[in-house]
Amino acid sequence: MSEVPADLPEAAVRRFAEGAFTSGLTVPDFAACLQMGLEPVGYVQGFCVMQWQWYGMGMQFGGYGPGSGGSTGGYSENWQCPHGMISAEHRAWGQNYEQTWVESAWTEGFSSAYNRMVEEAAEAGAHGIVGLVDTSQPLGDMGVLEFRVQGTAVRVTDGVPPVHGRPWTTYLAGQRLAKLIEAGYAPVSIAAAVASVRVWANCVTENLTEGSNSLYSYAQPGSEIEQTVKAHSVVRRLARQRVREQLGRDSLHGAAMVTTARELGQGDAELQCILRGNRVRRFKEFDPMPPPTPTVRLL
Amino acid sequence: MSSGLPTPEPVDLKAEMVRAALSLSQPEPGGTGSAKATRMTSDLSIDEEMVLHSIGWEPVELVSGVSIHSIPAGIWSWGQGEITYASAAYARSFGNATDRIHEACTKAGAQGVVGVHVEWDVHRHHIDVALVGTAVRPVEWTGLSADPVFVSDLSGRDFALLHTAGWAPLGLAAGASFVYAPRRSMGTAMKQKGQNVELTNFTEAMYAARESAMERMQTAALALGGTGVVEVKVTEGPMDFAHHAVGFTAYGTVVRLLAGEHRHVGARMILPLDDPVRAFDATSLRGQ
Repeated sequence: MSEVPADLPEAAVRRFAEGAFTSGLTVPDFAACLQMGLEPVGYVQGFCVMQWQWYGMGMQFGGYGPGSGGSTGGYSENWQCPHGMISAEHRAWGQNYEQTWVESAWTEGFSSAYNRMVEEAAEAGAHGIVGLVDTSQPLGDMGVLEFRVQGTAVRVTDGVPPVHGRPWTTYLAGQRLAKLIEAGYAPVSIAAAVASVRVWANCVTENLTEGSNSLYSYAQPGSEIEQTVKAHSVVRRLARQRVREQLGRDSLHGAAMVTTARELGQGDAELQCILRGNRVRRFKEFDPMPPPTPTVRLL
Repeated sequence: MSSGLPTPEPVDLKAEMVRAALSLSQPEPGGTGSAKATRMTSDLSIDEEMVLHSIGWEPVELVSGVSIHSIPAGIWSWGQGEITYASAAYARSFGNATDRIHEACTKAGAQGVVGVHVEWDVHRHHIDVALVGTAVRPVEWTGLSADPVFVSDLSGRDFALLHTAGWAPLGLAAGASFVYAPRRSMGTAMKQKGQNVELTNFTEAMYAARESAMERMQTAALALGGTGVVEVKVTEGPMDFAHHAVGFTAYGTVVRLLAGEHRHVGARMILPLDDPVRAFDATSLRGQ
């Protein structure tokens, strides 16, 4: 997590002092929040704009690829050529490696935006933030990525402030949040993590991915592309592991796992997996409700 | 007037919210407590989780399985009949991905996976399949069960409904077939030029692909010991990169009746009184 600025922009302080609340809640969510004793305090937001260089971490032009990637820590695995030959036209070895610098940059951008939003809410005297929405998108074509996190700060009527005065957060709002509470879970915070793995293909992976029938093919046409499959499995495992590290003894609820693959040609690829969800803590034992009664709507 | 529906106990949500806030005002609890009740990861919604609990099941772990199989160069070129390499690559990718998520489920100590998101893509030289879902188990499960581990793309709600009706999911079954649309003869092409006529070569290719894919899916379902497949999703059409080849894919959840006979769930009819809001139309003010 990055350093959190100690003060809010002057305009934000003035806005919170004005008395009227602002909210990103829909009217049904607003009504449900009031029913739960959650009073909206203000619509809070955090931003962070990061320069986004995929090949960072001190890598010089032409310096990336096998050998340089594995030195950054994290997952790394070599995929040797099975043919035992050396040729400028033959990918004698490949590597899957974790792009820790991409993960660090993402974490820094996301955490900074998140912390700025939480700080705004804390400054406004909120106990929590509901209906959180986070986005990240490129700003123009400048290699710049904007992280934005926003939600509605709320105060619990007759409730006590959270530990260290740091508001709790959740992607949920309205009826879904009410059901979460009814089910005995308290929202602790959101949990989000990214994992990034680069595939530097060896000759077998290259041939299989590109469909080239090399004289030196090792795997049979139609075989599984093991190196890429391994990278896909690892990128998902790493994202899960990162989120688990944020959970402590709490649970992750309502998670969304999004994996994207960018093919770079010759079997090379860059995989990114973002996992996010609600970190929740059980505050009471929950008596399961009776099986619901099926209904048919007449319209 | 009584609706006949059971009335749930009213919950004082404000009091519950205050209790939740109180728990968050304390430092994070230490290492004590029921391990079973902690560190669950799930992509189910709160509705799905509650409905799962209502039938005595709970989520355990977010699990996934991936497989990618290659397709050799040149096989999408003009030819006759089925493109067997592509059909086989789809089947093997789906099978391996299923095996892997199955393995992850077993490792997590769960009895099945529900709400599986099936992501698949056919590229010119490889077919990718990725499955992500939440592993679940009965709340009092001891890990000893004669029932096999299952993988299903049914939602938590559908799983609960199936369970209530006495049925059980057994696994995912898939089938695919990729077929060349054969060339028309020179004479046929000339005769059809400028005409609005059926291209029977494409229609026949589509039928051939469909029959093979559906048959494969049904064969897979029978191999799992199922009596049917529900929530079948099909796709069909020409390949983006090979317009003279058509593909048909199908997958769904294999089910089997566990109870002696199907239990009618006794759905009650309700008439909602909240009519949808109609868009305002200024002409209605003039009675038109």
